[in-house]
Amino acid sequence: MDSDEEDFVFYGTPIEREEEITSRRKKSIAEASGHLRALPPWKQEVTDEEGRRRFHGAFTGGFSAGYYNTAGSKEGWTPQSFTSSRKNRSEVKQQNILNFLDEDEKTELEGKSFGTSSQFDTFGFTAAELARKQAEKEQQQRPSAIPGPVPDELVLPATESIGVKLLLKMGWRRGRSIRDSHVDSLYESRREARKALLAFSSDDAKTQLTDSECGESHLESSVEQPVNDDVQYSRSTPVYVLNPKQDLHGLGYDPFKHAPEFRERKRSRLSDNRKPGYSKALSMKDSLFGFKSGKVGPGFGIGALEEYDAEDEDVYGTAYDFEDTIVQEVEVDEPSGVTKDRRPRLLGKEQGALPGFMIASKSDYQLERFDPPTVPKNFVPHHKFSGPLETDNKFANPPPPEVPPPDDNNMKLLIDGVATLVARCGKLFEDLSREKNQNNPLFTFLTGGNGHDYYARKLWEEQQKRNDQTMLAMDGKSSLADQKMTAESRGKLLGEKPLERSSKDLSSSVASENSIHMQYNLSDTFTKSASYSELPEIVKPFKDDPAKQDRFERFLKEKYQGGLRSADSGKASNMSEAARAHERMDFEAVAEAIGKGKHGKESLLSTQQFTGVSPAGGMQFTSGGLEQAKDAQAENLTTKNMYPRREEFQWRPSPILCKRFDLTDPFMGKPPPVPRMRSKMDSLIFMSDSVKPTKLEESDAVNKGPYPTPQSDAQEMSKFEETEVEVKVEVENVERPVDLYKAIFSDDSDDEAETFDHKQVEEPEKKIEVAHTALNHLIAGDFLESLGKELGLEVPPELPYLMSKAKTPVSGTPVDRVVLQQRGTTQEGESLKNTFIPSNPQSSSGKFRETDLSENRPGKADREKTKEDARAKSPSSRNRNQSSSWSSEDERSRKRSRRHRYRSSDSYSDLSGDDQDRYHSKSKGRKKGSSREKSSSSRRKHHKYKHRDSPSRSYNDAEGKKEKKKRRERD
Amino acid sequence: MNQSDLPRKEATVLRGHEGAVLAARFNGDGNYCLSCGKDRTIRLWNPHRGIHIKTYKSHGREVRDVHVTADNSKLISCGGDRQIYYWDVSTGRVIRRFRGHDSEVNAVKFNEYASVVVSAGYDRSLRVWDCRSHSTEPIQIIDSFLDSVMSVCLTKTEIIGGSVDGTVRTFDIRIGRELSDDLGQPVNCISLSNDGNCILASCLDSTLRLLDRTTGEPLQEYKGHICKSYKTDCCLTNTDAYVTGGSEDGSIYFWDLVDASVVSKFQAHSSVVTSVSYHPKDNSMITSSVDGTIRVWKT
Repeated sequence: MDSDEEDFVFYGTPIEREEEITSRRKKSIAEASGHLRALPPWKQEVTDEEGRRRFHGAFTGGFSAGYYNTAGSKEGWTPQSFTSSRKNRSEVKQQNILNFLDEDEKTELEGKSFGTSSQFDTFGFTAAELARKQAEKEQQQRPSAIPGPVPDELVLPATESIGVKLLLKMGWRRGRSIRDSHVDSLYESRREARKALLAFSSDDAKTQLTDSECGESHLESSVEQPVNDDVQYSRSTPVYVLNPKQDLHGLGYDPFKHAPEFRERKRSRLSDNRKPGYSKALSMKDSLFGFKSGKVGPGFGIGALEEYDAEDEDVYGTAYDFEDTIVQEVEVDEPSGVTKDRRPRLLGKEQGALPGFMIASKSDYQLERFDPPTVPKNFVPHHKFSGPLETDNKFANPPPPEVPPPDDNNMKLLIDGVATLVARCGKLFEDLSREKNQNNPLFTFLTGGNGHDYYARKLWEEQQKRNDQTMLAMDGKSSLADQKMTAESRGKLLGEKPLERSSKDLSSSVASENSIHMQYNLSDTFTKSASYSELPEIVKPFKDDPAKQDRFERFLKEKYQGGLRSADSGKASNMSEAARAHERMDFEAVAEAIGKGKHGKESLLSTQQFTGVSPAGGMQFTSGGLEQAKDAQAENLTTKNMYPRREEFQWRPSPILCKRFDLTDPFMGKPPPVPRMRSKMDSLIFMSDSVKPTKLEESDAVNKGPYPTPQSDAQEMSKFEETEVEVKVEVENVERPVDLYKAIFSDDSDDEAETFDHKQVEEPEKKIEVAHTALNHLIAGDFLESLGKELGLEVPPELPYLMSKAKTPVSGTPVDRVVLQQRGTTQEGESLKNTFIPSNPQSSSGKFRETDLSENRPGKADREKTKEDARAKSPSSRNRNQSSSWSSEDERSRKRSRRHRYRSSDSYSDLSGDDQDRYHSKSKGRKKGSSREKSSSSRRKHHKYKHRDSPSRSYNDAEGKKEKKKRRERD
Repeated sequence: MNQSDLPRKEATVLRGHEGAVLAARFNGDGNYCLSCGKDRTIRLWNPHRGIHIKTYKSHGREVRDVHVTADNSKLISCGGDRQIYYWDVSTGRVIRRFRGHDSEVNAVKFNEYASVVVSAGYDRSLRVWDCRSHSTEPIQIIDSFLDSVMSVCLTKTEIIGGSVDGTVRTFDIRIGRELSDDLGQPVNCISLSNDGNCILASCLDSTLRLLDRTTGEPLQEYKGHICKSYKTDCCLTNTDAYVTGGSEDGSIYFWDLVDASVVSKFQAHSSVVTSVSYHPKDNSMITSSVDGTIRVWKT
């Protein structure tokens, strides 16, 4: 807030901040969308104004008080019952307000509640309450412009509280703080207190201080004040004076409600501002309202427009604490500041439209805009890695022990490459690659797995080398000593070289130091240059980005060719260090991928090259160009060998497509297509399974020409499908047990079929069949064993192919295998299903033969198959139906028998009872025929009543009675 | 066909498109041609007389490809608005709109009987639409491509698509199998030889590759032109003796089919040649370019 505007009164409604509006709008939109209202009451949540879930207290409802946070009940509102009869006339009840009030409301209304009377109202609460009620009443009578209840601050109790009275009697004066402000007044106050005590004890009513007295005391104090300046009265001031309202917030609004720290901040800042600005406001108000600040006494009863003293003014901030001594210091300092600043301020306010008004130069409710932070001049927008190249500590850390390279050549290459990269790009690269290849078994050496020691050694070597290079680059050819140093260190290193570099010792003796250096860099990558020779130059993985491609090529050259790396090799572009590291990773990955593809061939070639060239390291270097040319040719060849690559998949045209193309649907009547894996990764993973058959197939296709005969076609297809199936099985092994479980334990086949994914739509039938067989076996009692038996039985001698298939290693439970074979033989051995389905293998084998024959007729195959499908399904279902019906029959019969038993027992008991009865009645019945009749009838009645709800029992009874009758007749 | 019979002389320039012309195609008998472009229109021309016959407007974005039925009664077009429009040629009305591609549609073709339309989209799918029924749902979606499908060709029994994933995939409806020929380079256009035995694929490494369809073996590679970032068409001449294609520098190349030597090369347009179409019978060719013109070339 600007200092010269803070005391102005602002008229009109300030324009709301944009974000406030938007937030409110959002809220209203959210409300309008009816998100909450759409929910049923038991799902709604009651939140407080800050969006937290309202907690009613652990013992009073928790998160849900009342009936789902409402005042209702489960039954809802029940209307009063109204009954009126001739005898009992209902009265016309006169309802009054008490019928609708709660207990506490009633007590409140009747004023029965306990409370301190106004006389003994120590803190004035009751008085304040009364005053508030009065104010409310007034407000209702005379509606004001400001709606809502009157703020408490404006309503002041009219009566004195007992505490004030006591204080006054103890000598406290209004407007003074309750303390002994200085030693001088100690005596006085004591005297006054004594006086007050005397007065209090003598007559309560007389000594009551009135307002006029109060005023007198004020006058007194104000008169006294100028006289004895040194004797300063510290005055108590009402809270609203201590904390005058200076902001533009609404009454009662506390912006620092939840952030009291900021209140202190603001206060301190304001008080700084305040000092100069205060005096101007004072003088201005003088002119405006003509109040004399000196005349108005402090304390209670100061009007809103009245001026207050300079001394009171700056008490805030510490005013709550009456014992604070800082207050006084501030007071003492105040006047000087006021006089200093008075002149310029007065001048400054002349330019208003109205006297006392001026146009705000800066409105408070502007959106605050923050300038972007200024970038320091020496800031370089490139991140420097904390420990990229450990140039300094190269001799500090001892070299890791020399370790023989891992026997896996590929691994060795990889480690070498990574070590080189890490040495070049810094530690970050290592971290990155470790992170990226966490799950890659090849990269375990990074995390301390296989080959870690070698990696550590390699890394150290590379770092050494790198340091040498950088030093060379830095020093140039300035000092021979330096070079000697590097040569020495290098010599030391050479002594520790792995075997592969022994050739360099020869050349080093011949060549000059510099060339040694270069050769060193070159020749230690001999093995890699071989691999590079295989790299296809045409393969451009970053074709879309020529710059990147260029970098990649350079990278490849560096990686595989060696040579003194140009200093700007990586820094040519304006890439950040991190981006570069990432790119290197990419390059590495790509190069590796390319290299891997050729590893098989390369190994041969590389060994040849090694034997041929390695004896003379220098020659390799000189003849590099030629070699390269040759390599390029080789690369071309290899790429030509690689591409184009043909793959075959099953593809199922939709029937309508076939129809529109006027072709017969090749999949007519066949099960729906097997979903193919989407990503290339998946196909790669399962390549091992699928590659061989496809290749076979391919050669078949080549041999047979473009349009193979239907026969071969069908074969092809079948083979093709098998490959698919194999792949498929691999995938599904994982989920099979669950499905089986489902299939076994959920008995409703239809439901199950519905619950399957559309992906697996093709299987449910089979699954169900499996399930049925499984069910049968379960019923039989020995599930797994029988399955194993079936496995043994199921391979028929007529189908050697199937035998071979069965031998193919398939991981999984026997159940899996069953499923696999079922699916694997969708073509030839559709009937195989039958072997699993019926409960007795004999009939199945018979069936199998029959279908096998039918299978050999290709023309009818489809139709046959469909029939068989149907047949295959039907027996199982029939079987199952049978079994179920049987079981149900069984159950029923069992039940029946049980019931029978019950009945019989019932009847027995009945009989026995009857017997007794009869016996009983027999004894006297002969004499009293009528009475017996009566009793029996009554008993019958009784029985009927008892068993009204169970007809069977009543039936039993009836039967029992019949029997009785018979007996009676017999009797 | 003699080498001198190659259409190298500019016969007519068809002007009218505002902005780039993205495709120009002869109709079945070669008497008319269709063009479409960035101005969201499809235009029907008589290229031999240089007459603009009709304009078809309905597309909301650029029109990328257009094809006409063998009986010249219907058009199919596709473009950046993800829709495929099925037009009546004579009235110029849209008979049907096929919506379903998730992204721009790159190419579209009728089948032989004009009963089915196959479209190739940026959404990595080939979609087959039925022209006979009133359904606007695709009757088949082929989504085995790994990247944008740039071009589609149809034979009597097969659907062939070329994709940026570097594959040319042949979907044989009769056998129900998919043959994927991975060329290793993004394919932006494929065209069938007139005998139907070979596919000419234009790859983004500035190479045209001729593939044997039955074996998938590469037969020849044609280089010299520039094709690195634009969809540039290529095709074989009507006798299958030469291969022709446009270059991004605006020139047209003719290669000998067998020995892959550049037989002829001339500057045809001032900007990228987007499309070439060879007359089915005569030695005549139309080319379209980003410069907004369609040029008719004759011997």
